[in-house]
Amino acid sequence: MKKECVAMLLAGGQGSRLYVLTGSVAKPAVSFGGKYRIIDFPLSNCTNSGIDTVGVLTQYRPLELNSYIGSGQAWDLDASTGGVHILPPDMGSAGGSWYKGTANAIYQNIGFIDMYDPDYVVILSGDHIYKMDYAKMVEAHKKAGAACTISVMEVPWADASRFGIMSVDGNMNITEFAEKPKEPKSNLASMGIYVFSWQALRKYLTEDEQDPNSENDFGKNIIPNMLKAGEKMLAYRFEGYWKDVGTLESLWDANMDMLTPDSGLDLLDDSWTIYAQTVAAPAAFLGPDSEVANSAFNRGDIIEGDVENSVLSQNVTIKKGAKVSHSVLFPGVTIEEGAVVNYSIVGEGCAIGKDCKIGEPREERSDWGITVLGPGCKVEDGRVIKAKRMLDSEGKEVER
Amino acid sequence: MSGIHGIVFAYQKRTNLQELVSVRASASVPFGGRYRAIDFAISNLVNAGAKDVGVLVQGKYQSLLDHIGTGKDYDLSKKRGGLRILPPFSVQNDMTDTYRGKMEALGSIRSYIADSRADHFVLLDGDLVTNLPLKAVVQSHIDSGADITVVCGDDSFYVDRGTYYQTDEHGRVTDILFNVHTPKGRRGLEVFVIAKKLLLELIDDCVSHDKYSLRKDVLQPRKDSLVIKTYIWRGFAAQVRSVKEYFDRSMQLLNPEISGELFTKERPIRAKSADKSSAFIAPGGSVHNSIIADGCKIEGIVENSILFPGVTVEKGAVVRSSVLFKETFIGEKSEAAFIIADKRVELSPGSTIIGSVNYPIVIAKESKV
Repeated sequence: MKKECVAMLLAGGQGSRLYVLTGSVAKPAVSFGGKYRIIDFPLSNCTNSGIDTVGVLTQYRPLELNSYIGSGQAWDLDASTGGVHILPPDMGSAGGSWYKGTANAIYQNIGFIDMYDPDYVVILSGDHIYKMDYAKMVEAHKKAGAACTISVMEVPWADASRFGIMSVDGNMNITEFAEKPKEPKSNLASMGIYVFSWQALRKYLTEDEQDPNSENDFGKNIIPNMLKAGEKMLAYRFEGYWKDVGTLESLWDANMDMLTPDSGLDLLDDSWTIYAQTVAAPAAFLGPDSEVANSAFNRGDIIEGDVENSVLSQNVTIKKGAKVSHSVLFPGVTIEEGAVVNYSIVGEGCAIGKDCKIGEPREERSDWGITVLGPGCKVEDGRVIKAKRMLDSEGKEVER
Repeated sequence: MSGIHGIVFAYQKRTNLQELVSVRASASVPFGGRYRAIDFAISNLVNAGAKDVGVLVQGKYQSLLDHIGTGKDYDLSKKRGGLRILPPFSVQNDMTDTYRGKMEALGSIRSYIADSRADHFVLLDGDLVTNLPLKAVVQSHIDSGADITVVCGDDSFYVDRGTYYQTDEHGRVTDILFNVHTPKGRRGLEVFVIAKKLLLELIDDCVSHDKYSLRKDVLQPRKDSLVIKTYIWRGFAAQVRSVKEYFDRSMQLLNPEISGELFTKERPIRAKSADKSSAFIAPGGSVHNSIIADGCKIEGIVENSILFPGVTVEKGAVVRSSVLFKETFIGEKSEAAFIIADKRVELSPGSTIIGSVNYPIVIAKESKV
């Protein structure tokens, strides 16, 4: 069954900079924005863009991600021809290996892609928060007759040296590509979203696999190789909210962006719906003594305490007399009476006991930071966890 | 394989619900901030293990169909059986377009019933809002050896056109009263458990004698020849027949004990998702003692109210003791109290609309005030 376009979503990374939050789940399965998981964004973008065939490449701790995606029904990706497919690394008759790099992951799935004989392949990663119409990017790629199109964003010049930077000519053709350059020649940063003409990509993937010195990575190998060979490479400018939520700080920041009207992250806008798995829970209840200000909350929440500048996922219970401020609470968190939670990320299913003090208000000092509680941990009554500290799922303090 | 097959009567006209049912069947009336009445009936059946549910519709059933769809939200979208919508087939009486009674409705789907793979049928009204341990009800029916089990509330609350059951000390029904001024006995919830074989016999008997009412032509005349037993349910069970009842029952949900029981995690109530984002209280917004659904954006004051998905309350607006359906818009500095606003109602900035606890005002769908 031929498809014009197939999307390949790289969701195998460990997300090690999220520490305890990804201790036992892959990063794309991590909660975001109260209602969602990170992977809801690229999946919903695919379905809204008309891409109905998506391969999700998993590797690290895929269980929760796999069961979350299920048949793909939540994102209308449960088609009988196409749909969403989970693609773990597998064994062939000549052996097999874990994915060695982003490009190798695609290389190992050439068979899957060939099944659909697509003209174009869209490479996405599962760790970005953004709304984007990939169809427009594919259009631009087609029109330019490019072999590869890379989505780019303007970043502040001061930050440019942190990114993969593209230099372009007047027609947005890429002339140079520099990975984290000390002296950036442009401020157009690669977003890690690519459109390739399949036959071209297939060739470069196969050649790259033969190179024992290669890291089998798109940014380090495939793209520079294509550029060097003189292939037509297009930069596609993206304007809008886009955030990499690979660190604890950026994950917290992006959640707070939901509460800030000027941030550009407007999830209440229905015109480009982000879908998620449904949770069977009634609408949230805010009790008579609750005080909830500038916060987001979800189904199943029972709020009887004070909540300020915070994002609450589903089925969160906050008892009377508890106070939550500038924090992100994942699904199923319970907070008992008298507990105070400040500037924290509280993992799924955590139970915070009475009168605990978790986190501290923001201060300009080197030992201040977001406090993180790993999924499922039980914090006994009265415990104090200072700023920047982290608890694992057993409630033990661990270093970052 | 034994098991239960559910039949939901979702065509009733409850005219005292006025504007709430002018555009929809009573089974489709939004309830509890997220649901339609029929979600309770279907979820009750699914939680009891029913794999097949037939929904009898008639009249204004577009909104109902849109909401229940293929049954996917209840895990009833199956290759074999699952959810089946049963629009009106041939009605015996060609003079009217409504079933004269439940037996007539069942008669029109006789072959659907006969084809069922289940041993027992559970009959429910589409607008009964409750969360019954139906599995236990069916088991108690089987254990008791009764011909028909009737689920009753443990009270005699007045219900318009309600049926009341009086029993002996063994729980066997001795008398059935209908439409009484002063109810005696226990309030029937119109939930019946009956074996497939007996159901077919009763249907055939009614059809061949041009009889149509379950109560008048089966239960009342046969209360002695059939063993009819009651199952008493002491929890929340709303049979909403008037606007005031709708309002009162909605406000009862603000009591955590009642909502905790109705929405118990042991038997979750499922429904189509509005696919909206998290609810959000903006700076200046203040909410107390209220149920707030996904996608609501609140910049004003909300108290003792129920807001369905996507409701907007602008700065300076005040909403008290009200029920606002999906995507209602309450403009800046306007004031609303004791109102039930249907979908997409718009209250223009500065306007005021205040009902009273005994006379809540219903604002029709998409009205601009």
